Parts: sequence; structure tokens; C-alpha cells
Amino acid sequence: MGHGEKGRPNKKHKSSAKEDHRIIVEDEDAYYGEEVDDDNRDGEKKRDFTKLELKPDHANRPLWACADGRIFLETFSPLYKQAYDFLIAIAEPVCRPESMHEYNLTPHSLYAAVSVGLETETIIAVLNKLSKTKLPKEMIDFIHASTANYGKVKLVLKKNRYFVESPFPEASDYVLKKLLKDEAISKARINAEVSNGSDGFTISKAKGEIGTGHEDLLSGAEVAAAAEEKETHAFEVDPAQVENVKQRCLPNALNYPMLEEYDFRNDTVNPDLDMELKPHAQPRPYQEKSLSKMFGNGRARSGIIVLPCGAGKSLVGVSAACRIKKSCLCLATNAVSVDQWAFQFRLWSTIREDQICRFTSDSKERFRGNAGVVVTTYNMVAFGGKRSEESEKIIEEIRNREWGLLLMDEVHVVPAHMFRKVISITKSHCKLGLTATLVREDERITDLNFLIGPKLYEANWLDLVKGGFIANVQCAEVWCPMTKEFFAEYLKKENSKKKQALYVMNPNKFRACEFLIRFHEQQRGDKIIVFADNLFALTEYAMKLRKPMIYGATSHVERTKILEAFKTSKEVNTVFLSKVGDNSIDIPEANVIIQISSHAGSRRQEAQRLGRILRAKGKLQDRMAGGKEEYNAFFYSLVSTDTQEMYYSTKRQQFLIDQGYSFKVITSLPPSDTGADLSYHSLQDQLALLSKVLSAGDDAVGLEQLEEDADDIALHKARRFMGSMSAMSGANGMVYMEYSTGRKMQGQLKGKPKDPAKRHHLFKRRFT
Amino acid sequence: MPEVKIIAKNFMDMVASLPAMKLDKLYDNAFICEAILRSLPPLAKKYVLQMLYIDSPITAKSMEVWVLPDGSSKHRVAIDRLIQLRVFTETVDRRKETTYKINPTFQTNLQKLLTHGEVLPREPMPSNITVRLPSVEELDVYAIGQWECFLLQLISSAQAERPSNISSSMMKVFQRGLLSQRDKEAPRLTDSGFQFLLMDTNAQLWYIIREYISNSEERGVDPADLISFLLELSFHVTGEAYNSNTLTEVQRNTVKDLTDLGLVKLQQGRKESWFIPTKLATNLSVSLTDSSSRKQGFVVVETNFRLYAYSTSKLHCEILRLFSRVEYQLPNLIVGAITKESLYNAFENGITADQANILLQLTPELYSQIISFLQQNAHPRVAERIPTVPENVTDQIRLWESDLNRVEMNPAHYYDEFPSREIFEAACDHAREWNGLLWEDSKRMRLVVKAEIHIHMRDHLRGQKQ
Repeated sequence: MGHGEKGRPNKKHKSSAKEDHRIIVEDEDAYYGEEVDDDNRDGEKKRDFTKLELKPDHANRPLWACADGRIFLETFSPLYKQAYDFLIAIAEPVCRPESMHEYNLTPHSLYAAVSVGLETETIIAVLNKLSKTKLPKEMIDFIHASTANYGKVKLVLKKNRYFVESPFPEASDYVLKKLLKDEAISKARINAEVSNGSDGFTISKAKGEIGTGHEDLLSGAEVAAAAEEKETHAFEVDPAQVENVKQRCLPNALNYPMLEEYDFRNDTVNPDLDMELKPHAQPRPYQEKSLSKMFGNGRARSGIIVLPCGAGKSLVGVSAACRIKKSCLCLATNAVSVDQWAFQFRLWSTIREDQICRFTSDSKERFRGNAGVVVTTYNMVAFGGKRSEESEKIIEEIRNREWGLLLMDEVHVVPAHMFRKVISITKSHCKLGLTATLVREDERITDLNFLIGPKLYEANWLDLVKGGFIANVQCAEVWCPMTKEFFAEYLKKENSKKKQALYVMNPNKFRACEFLIRFHEQQRGDKIIVFADNLFALTEYAMKLRKPMIYGATSHVERTKILEAFKTSKEVNTVFLSKVGDNSIDIPEANVIIQISSHAGSRRQEAQRLGRILRAKGKLQDRMAGGKEEYNAFFYSLVSTDTQEMYYSTKRQQFLIDQGYSFKVITSLPPSDTGADLSYHSLQDQLALLSKVLSAGDDAVGLEQLEEDADDIALHKARRFMGSMSAMSGANGMVYMEYSTGRKMQGQLKGKPKDPAKRHHLFKRRFT
Repeated sequence: MPEVKIIAKNFMDMVASLPAMKLDKLYDNAFICEAILRSLPPLAKKYVLQMLYIDSPITAKSMEVWVLPDGSSKHRVAIDRLIQLRVFTETVDRRKETTYKINPTFQTNLQKLLTHGEVLPREPMPSNITVRLPSVEELDVYAIGQWECFLLQLISSAQAERPSNISSSMMKVFQRGLLSQRDKEAPRLTDSGFQFLLMDTNAQLWYIIREYISNSEERGVDPADLISFLLELSFHVTGEAYNSNTLTEVQRNTVKDLTDLGLVKLQQGRKESWFIPTKLATNLSVSLTDSSSRKQGFVVVETNFRLYAYSTSKLHCEILRLFSRVEYQLPNLIVGAITKESLYNAFENGITADQANILLQLTPELYSQIISFLQQNAHPRVAERIPTVPENVTDQIRLWESDLNRVEMNPAHYYDEFPSREIFEAACDHAREWNGLLWEDSKRMRLVVKAEIHIHMRDHLRGQKQ
């Protein structure tokens, strides 16, 4: 029984922690072998916990907890909100659709829980209170085992000196001594004069945890115990060795992971920065919540906050900086987003113009006074080569300064070695990482855990959609059958390097894309972004359709110009982006994405691209559940059927599906009655396109490679190609020229009257 | 394997299919007469009552006068049914005139019923003898429990928790058509077995009872006796106790079997023993499409193809396992995922190689059956949501289904090793002429033609040789 050359893989669900940590092979050819043994593994994965004892009032309790760490949460339980807040603090969300959420307890998630101030017994008590069954013994043991050592040691930066601190009396001397037995740590210790017999530990007092938010689930006594003032003991370590010490303390070594906290209120050494949030900047409830996790005990914790794109990450960042009120170093991924961050600081806070500066290759500003905000890119800081005299000076300043807050944007894209470098160069009291998608195809998320800190908060996408905070996106996967001729070439062995170009240039896909652009431009008046990873396809599509495009080689000035036109001009409604547009280019106007090619099975890219249109538009009440417009943004992923794309596509969607998004499959685009209205209708045109694809050099049809994109290189191994020089330089200016002629054409098309009855017809005519 | 069609026709069809002798014997029993009367279409009921006190035959012509012209089709249906059940006997006399006469036994019994009123088949036992009678709820739980246990045993005997009275040979009879077993392999569900499990309880019960009756002769039991007893049983009152002494030997054995199916519950007192009919028994002769007795739904399907079933039943778990991958079993929750593999596996499991060709025709039914199973059993939480099963999931299931249909099967013949290129090309041309060329590979001189032109090709090639 045949179902096409390659069966469409299922919407597979990752269901065990083990599998989640499996490295995802990005090598295209390795997939087919992998698929086969998937089933065998699945066979063993069934887990029988029917023997767990149900509590008599189980119907009123919201969750089940399994011995292997999996937790199921009913979202319709009256206790859902409390349970959700609690679970998100102690466990890793696996999937969060409408009625039932799944979470995994992992050592890292528990580490995060402890670091926001939850104690082992609290975790177990609350979990037990919420669980329908008696807690499995394995889970209790697991929590004990994982958290026994967590939260016992803190790394504190005081007066430019690093201290390893431990609370007294329950652990301190014992733990600190144990740490000092480690060679690397004892070497790193400074001022170790054992004079008065007390091991020379510094003694001080610290406030206990307040406001963890789970008091309502606990008795008063338990809360009181947590809020008591505690005495701490500490020893100092060499700043140069901090990274080493931290690493020695990780779960895979001494297993006393260190928490980093910054007592900024009592920091008298570093000058204050006079900045407040402007009155109009009112953090939304979930932003408030994420900040409360960060500043839970009056100090600032290092860690990562995960919010969907468009949910207002920058406001969280700016608010954090305003609370700490010390110098802040803000790192972004590229020059465009540096501009955007600087803008956000000015927009939301009362910071003076001369206290904020940008440091990029194009603009080398310096702030006046003794405290301020510097916005720069990771590359600028980590750059190892020779710098200009001017930037050398600025870098020196950055190096010598003690930063109150190191604000890091899009932490998921920056490779670990870059972080290490950045963190070793800059001395900061508190590190805050911001991201939308804490998934990495290379599974290096664990690195972030100790380089920056644990995940402090992660928002639920679906809740934000329901609350109207982000756009409600209709996701669709458009199936474009390969034309006979393209498919025949696709199957040929000698074309193995052109496979991608062949399925991206599939005339049916082109027609579907053209149709969608027309539909959204003319009938809904939408703003459209078309994404293509494949440079050859990007140029072909953009030129044929006469639309502007931006890719790696497009200069900063030109990018800004195109984006400005897209934002303001009524004539420019569609822009073609290569993967430079994946992250942090803020295009709030866009509400439609059409994806014609993408980077293999990258879940993160899919989520990031979706993020481009998540910024909520229109009136709040229309967007809320039950509002006027059910969907106000559209995400189309065009895939050529029976090709590798189908496989990748399902893989890519996994993250979004786990967040509760669903992909509709559309099989009938463009509608069969469009005929010659769209390009490549005649066989002749199609064949001409085919020969163009085939005659292009292998290197020309490959993927675009971006210089700063180092972590992707690791993923793609030998399968990546540089775009050819001719395509890069030649096409550049040409496309931008052609876009003015395109304007005329669009003007004519615009004249057609809108037919309101045709709205959303895309979603009505499926299966017809 | 013979093709098993699962048709949940009603009990009376079974009665109607009995031979004349048996049927006449059946009417000795007054309850059966009443049950038959109840089951008749309205017009047929009227005819029976009209003719109840007429002893002489009535001509077909005079009966036709009773109906308006536009009622003639209903008339036909009524008469056919009455003749089928031998309530009426039809005679054609010498003048070729058709007359109808009511079955005398049936007539007498029904007359008695009219004048003396209804008599119960047996009196319930007084409550001072029976103790600890189960409540209605307890009895329902018992009945469902027994039935599910039976089903589990049916689909895989290893799963059953309790040994049952049903002999393995009888189990084999039930499994016939639902399971297929190849030597040394574990039995697997067939296509029909698959459909069977997704049906609702009443339909399943009817299927089993039908098998039970049609197999009765092999066990030395008269099917008429059995039908009569089962009908009798449906006149008993749910939850009342009836003395086992009133049963014949055959009936007593039958009751034991019915206990395993959950139709009755047996209890033993100090001296006496009695049986208590459950609602499964009393519902047996009522309309099978009645869905008022629908159980509360328990399945939640999410947009990410995860499936959560609020159930403690092992049977549910087995049913879900048919088309999904069960990942977690909790005390009152089953967690699974619907995947393409899990769906395809289900069909491949159920269908043996020689049936592969009918797979294509059968699967659409199965797919929609899975979807309707999910919809009908939707948990109250999501039942009011529209659609109950997320659209993208049902769409995807249909797309997976249509994926199977993309392949069209054509019987064909393959030719290779042509002695020369001329002969190969001539053969291609010939096949083209007959409009039967499916594929050719001129490089290696191979071709495939439709099976129906094979004979022409053969003739052609023979001609070439000479």
C-alpha cells in the first residue's frame, strides 16, 4: 500500500523528558531511518499508573502527577489559575492546548523553582494539595533529590567583589566547606585568612522570601517561616574565576547550583541612574507577574523571562532596568534591533537623552555622567579582532564598569560560546535574558541555565490570545502539489543538491503564494511578509511579483528605507524577507505571513516568524474571546506535497502546536478557476522556470548564510552553501528599482471593488 | 474469511427468519404474541386487531378497499411483514383469488390477552425471601461491568480479569468474523471487529445475541426456544428477582450465559436462587437505535492530537489503543495521541494481506467511524464546544485517509527481456493502440500494460515471433 513517495509523518508528540533532550538531527538524509525506530520506542513508552490511589474528593482537584515526572492539569478546574502559576514555577510546560496541559518535572525546572524562592517542602505540599491522587513516592523522592542542594549557595556581587554566600544555620558552613574542598573553588577563593577559627566566613543578614504567590494554598505558619530573616555566611572568590566556580557547582559536578541575586537597594557603591517608568507605561498582568518573579525578595534575580513575541518583552526589560536604577547594558542581535531598543527605553522611561547611547559599527555614542544605558549587539562586545580606536575606548569602558543589569534580548539565538565571552567581559550584578521561544534545535538550553540563570517565568500563549494581548493567528498549511515535471526532476539523484530549490520553486507553490498575496492585499487590505530562506527563490519570487526584498546583504540604510515604506506607504503592502527577518525586526504593521521556504525542521524559526505578526492590532474588545474578529492575523506555510518539506513542516509546527495553536490544512490553493490570472499557468512558462532552476549553479540555489549566525552553522553542517556573489550584488539594487514599477501595477489592481462576502472564503472552501 | 456485514437489524427480523414450524410453535407463548403485536408497523397492528375476531379468510381485494390509493405502499409493507411473521397466512384459491387468514394460535392468544388482561411470564419473588437486592444504580454498574469484561475477553482473552462461564468454543463463535487468526500468531481484530468495537452497546449486544441464537442449534438448543425465552425476559421488570425454579433446564443454562453478558444477575439465597434482569435484558427487544440511554461522554481531543479519556475501563483503553497510541494510564484517565502510524497500524493489523484490495473501499467507513466515536463520546467539558473534536484533527484524519486513496490499483502485466528494440517498440505501439499502456522504460526495454489487454499483447507478441 503506497501513500506517496514519503508518507507524511504524523504530528508526533514528544512525550518523555528523555526524548525531549534527544539531540534533533538536522541532517536531511538521516530522517528516514529515524522514523522507523520511532515506533518501537513509542511502544515501550506506555506508562501504567493505574495503581495510584485516588483521593475521595479528586474531582475538585486539578491535576494528576505521575511517577516519571509528568503532570497533567485540567484547565477547567476552579483551581486552574493557582495551579497554573504554581506549575509554571516548578515544571517545564510540554504542551498547553485548551483543556489539558502537560508539564514535566525536571532537575532544571526544580532548580528554577528553588531559585525563585520555593522550598522543597512547599513544592511537595502544594503539589500534594492539588493532586487528585496521592503523590507517587518516586516523585517526592525526585523532588527531594533534585532540590536537596538547590538554593543553598548564592553568588553575590558586592562592591565589585564576588562572594559565595550560604544561608545560616541549616547549611552554610557545611556546604561552604564542601565547596572549598573542590580544588578549582579553593583556588578561586581570595582573602582566605583563617584567623579567628570560624573559617573566615563573612557573616551578614538577608531578608527571607516574600510574596511567592502561593500563600493561599498553604497555611499561615508555612508562609511565616519563609519570611523570617536569615543569617548568611560567605567567602569571596576571584572575579576572573567566577565562571569556573559556577560551573563546578552545577548539577553534573558538585551539584550545588548557585543562584545569583543582586541587592540593588543596598548598593551604595554604584551610582544610581535616575529613571522611572513613564505613567503611560503600565505593565500588563503577565508582565507584572514576570517582574514579581524577578524581584520576589527585594533583590534582583538573574534568569530568563519567556514571553511570546509581540507580548511586550521590551517593556519588561525597561521596567526591570527602572526598578534597579543602575547602569544597564542591553544586548541585541543586530543593529536594527539596537535602534528599536534605544527607542523603547526612550518611549517607556524617563531616561534623559544623554544617558542612553547606542554602540554599533555605525554609531558609536557614549553616555554622559556616571550612570547610563548602553545598547549594543552581542557581536560588538564579543568581537575578538582589532577594533577602531574609538570602539576600543568604549569597549574598555564597558569592561571596567560594574553593570547593575545586563539585559539580553533573544537569548535563544546567541551561541553559548558568545554568551560566555560576553559574560566574562562584562561584570554585571544581575542578568536578565528575554526570549519568546526557549527551544533550540541543538538543545543547548541547559547552557543558558547556568550562564544566565533559570527560567523565571513563561507565559501561556493561549491565555494571552484569550486576553487579547497578542493577535489571534489563524495558522494554515497550504499543500501545493508538485507539478509533474518538477517532481520528476526532484526525484533524480543528480539533482540532490537542488531538491530544495525544486520544491520551493514549484509553480503551484508560486501560484498559491501569488494568490494569497493578492487576496490579502486587495480583499482585506492586509500587510504581508513573505519569508524565504532560499535566496534564489527569494529573488525569483520578489522580482516576478515586483515586491521589495531584504536579505543578508541589504545595507542597514536600505533595510530601514524599505521597512519605513512598508510601514507608512499604502502602495507597499508586501515585503519579502530572508531569514534576517526571523528575529527582532519589529514590523508591527504586518498581519499576514506567507512562508515559502524555511530552515529544515527548526521549531524555533517557525515560532519566531509567527511572532512577527503576534503584536495585537485593532481594538482590545474585538480581540478578546468572543470579539468581532475571530482571527486578525494569518500565518501560511506553503509546502510542496510529497517532498521533504512535508516532513520538516510537521516538525517545525511542533512548538506552536504544543502552545495550543492548530494548523489548518488547505489543499485547494489557488482555486482552480484562477487559471491564467496567476503566473506560471502555461506548461511552457513552467518549463522555462524549471530550466532556470536546473541551470543555476548548485551554490546559487542553496541557503543564505548570515555571518553572525554561528549557531546555525553547527546545525547545518556541510549542507549549507554561500549565495553566489553575482546574485548577491547584482540582484540587490535591481529589485529595489523594480519595486517602483510594481507600485503602478498595484495601483491598478487596487481599483477593483472589495467584495465583503468573499472574506475568509479561504477557510470555507476547503474540501470542495 | 467470509465478509461479515455488521447489520444491527432488530430482534423481530430474527424472529421472522425462523422456519414456519418454529414460528407457529413460538406463538404458543402469549408474551411472544404480545411482543410481536407491539413490534408491528401501525397499519399492520390495525389489520391484526381488525381481523382478531374474524375466523374466515378475507380476500386481498376487500382489504385493499380499506386503504386510500396513496396508502398502498404502506399497505404492502404491512401485509408483507404480517406474512413474513406468519401472523397472516396467504392462500390463493382456484379462482386465483388471494385471501388472508390470521394465524389461529396467535389469534387465540391475543383474544385471551384482550379479555383477561396481561399476565406476567413469572411473578417476582416476594421481598421477604429475597435479601440484599441491588439498587438500580448498582445493577447498571454490574451490567456494564459484565459487558465490558466480556468484550475484553472477546478481543483478547488475556486481558479478562475474571474467568467466565462462556465456553471457549462459544467465545470462538463470537470472535468469528471479528478476529482473524493465522497460525501461531496472536489473533488480530478484523475490519468488522474494529467497527464492532466502535458501535454503541445496544448494537454490539444485538450482534452478540444474534450470533448466540444462530449458533444455538450446534449446542443442541432450539433457536425458537431461545428467542422465546429472550423475548420473555424482556417482559420482566428490571431489578426484580425471579425464582430460578421457574426456569427449564435449557433456560437455566442460558441464564448462566446471559449473566456473563450482563443481561441478568444471579443471586443465591438460603434456600432459593433467583435471577435479576438488568436493563440490558429489558432493552433487548426495544428499538436498537434508541440512544436515550447514552452514557456520559469521556473523551477530550486536543488540537495537538492528544487524547484524554476520563475512564477507568480497561475496555475503553483497549478501544482507544485501536487507533491511538496510549501513553499514560492513570487511575481515572487514559492519555494517548492520535498519530498517522497509530491509525494506519490499526488497519494494517486488522486486515490480512489477501484483503489488501478491499482495504481501500473499507477504510473511509472506519475513519468516519473513529471520528464519530470521538464525537459521540466527547467529554461534557468539550461536548458543547463546536466542533467537539478540533477541526484540524478531523481534517487531518480525513487527509490521512485520502492519502490511502491516492493509489489506484490496476491489475496489470509486466513485460521485459525483449529480444530487440523493434519488437519492444512495436509492442509499445500495440499497447497504445489498445489504450492500455501504463508505463514504459525504453532504455531498459520494459513495459507494463493493463491486464485486460494482456491477451491482445500475447497474440501480438506471438505474431512477432513467427
